[in-house]
Amino acid sequence: MKVHVDPERCQGHTLCNMIAPEVFQLDDVDGHSTAIIDGEVPADLEAKVAEAVRSCPEQAITIS
Amino acid sequence: MTDEDRKKNRYQFARHDPEYRDQFVAITTEMVSKCPVAWSDTYGGHWVASGHHEVFELARSAEYLSNDHDVKGERRGYKGITIPSPDVEFQGGFLEMDPPAQRHYRQALNPYLSPAAVQRWLPVVDELVRASINEKIETGRIDFVDDLANIVPAVLTLAMLGIPLKNWDIYVEPVHASVYTPPDSPNIDRVRQSQMAMYQDLFGHYTEIKANPRPGMIDALARAEIDGKTPDDMELIGVLALIIGGGFDTTTALTAHALEWLSEHPAERERLSRERDTLLDSATEEFLRYYTPAPGDGRTISADCEIAGQQFKEGERLWLSWAMSNRDPAVFPNPHEVDLARTGNRHHSFGLGLHRCIGSNVARMVFKRMLVAVLDRMPDFVCDPTGAVHYETIGVIQGMQHLPATFTPGPRIGDGLAETVARMQVLCDERRLADPVTRKGTEQAEA
Repeated sequence: MKVHVDPERCQGHTLCNMIAPEVFQLDDVDGHSTAIIDGEVPADLEAKVAEAVRSCPEQAITIS
Repeated sequence: MTDEDRKKNRYQFARHDPEYRDQFVAITTEMVSKCPVAWSDTYGGHWVASGHHEVFELARSAEYLSNDHDVKGERRGYKGITIPSPDVEFQGGFLEMDPPAQRHYRQALNPYLSPAAVQRWLPVVDELVRASINEKIETGRIDFVDDLANIVPAVLTLAMLGIPLKNWDIYVEPVHASVYTPPDSPNIDRVRQSQMAMYQDLFGHYTEIKANPRPGMIDALARAEIDGKTPDDMELIGVLALIIGGGFDTTTALTAHALEWLSEHPAERERLSRERDTLLDSATEEFLRYYTPAPGDGRTISADCEIAGQQFKEGERLWLSWAMSNRDPAVFPNPHEVDLARTGNRHHSFGLGLHRCIGSNVARMVFKRMLVAVLDRMPDFVCDPTGAVHYETIGVIQGMQHLPATFTPGPRIGDGLAETVARMQVLCDERRLADPVTRKGTEQAEA
């Protein structure tokens, strides 16, 4: 599983970071999210990432 | 397509009537299932979006939607986000603007309201909560609205703006009362007088800070370049009114409703307290979803378009109901029940798209700290349903005027509210807490 946050869609709701802080980092200044895991998401975090995808109000997170 | 065809899904939607509050679940269920986008003849005629998918698609269609409130008649005469339009034409800050000006304002204020910026205020919030509770803890009686949930968001908002913290009582009553007092109330003159006193104080600090910089959001606004120019004073006062209105009554409303629900569900309250490490975040999102303090926003269609299967014409008005879309069973199983552990909670309570509530990080933090402190210091509180006063209508804010409760008295911890407010003022000034964060180091203020 790979994860990506679309910077055009993200509006800084911060739910992804609440759910999976190991994966999603918030910008200090505007609170917008980026995925800090570049390659494969570790297996033990996949469920949390899936929950972040479901919970994002802007549907800005994609997994591939 | 004729207008009649376009408007074939109709619903007589009167959200400012007390019946809307009383019949909220029935009306919501009917609208979401039968006409997720409906035409209503009320308030001069407007569209109402209640389905989760429809609200999601519409709110994010920035190219066809305008928030503009053209009070000077310089553009297309759009009426902003309030439906029906208020009698007094006053631009409600950047929530009644479109980009690029709207974006410039948010860029100026984000460094004061981001998660990293808000985190710096945590010790101040905890102190204000502790002291507010101290004032009542020995008596066994508290009004959660008047004695706690009105105070902490107000003091914090002023601190972040750069206004003296001790002035909170000039601000708290007019902001709160102007939301729940109808224009025909015998109290309206008193409310308007207190509003005048508040604006006088606000304008005084704004003028002072314009001349002599000091940390806070007022400073950022007084020096901001918006769309290549310095905005006029009236525009900036509108922005400050937006920050104050958004910062005060919404968090108060959320906190009061959540505490009322927890009083009615003591087993769930015990569970939340016990499992707070895993439940506090999801419970907060669930209270946000279920009680949606700001129930919706108006828009103007800025170009003919088709969105979510509905054709719209330029100039038509649209109400995006965050509150009703938050009850759509397509997204939320058992939507009319509170589930403290709910997952996939894509609620719309902070809005969507480029106008997402800029204070959402403040709201969550303050709510959580008040809630946890109540659970710790008055774990057996019981709200008095005969003394609880809900806003008569929920067209603007779904809030509460009073929420009295009793509990087993406990000991004071540390000093009272006035002393704490004075100490927090010193802390703010010494540590320059109201400075913006920067990308290099978020803790520059403490360095």
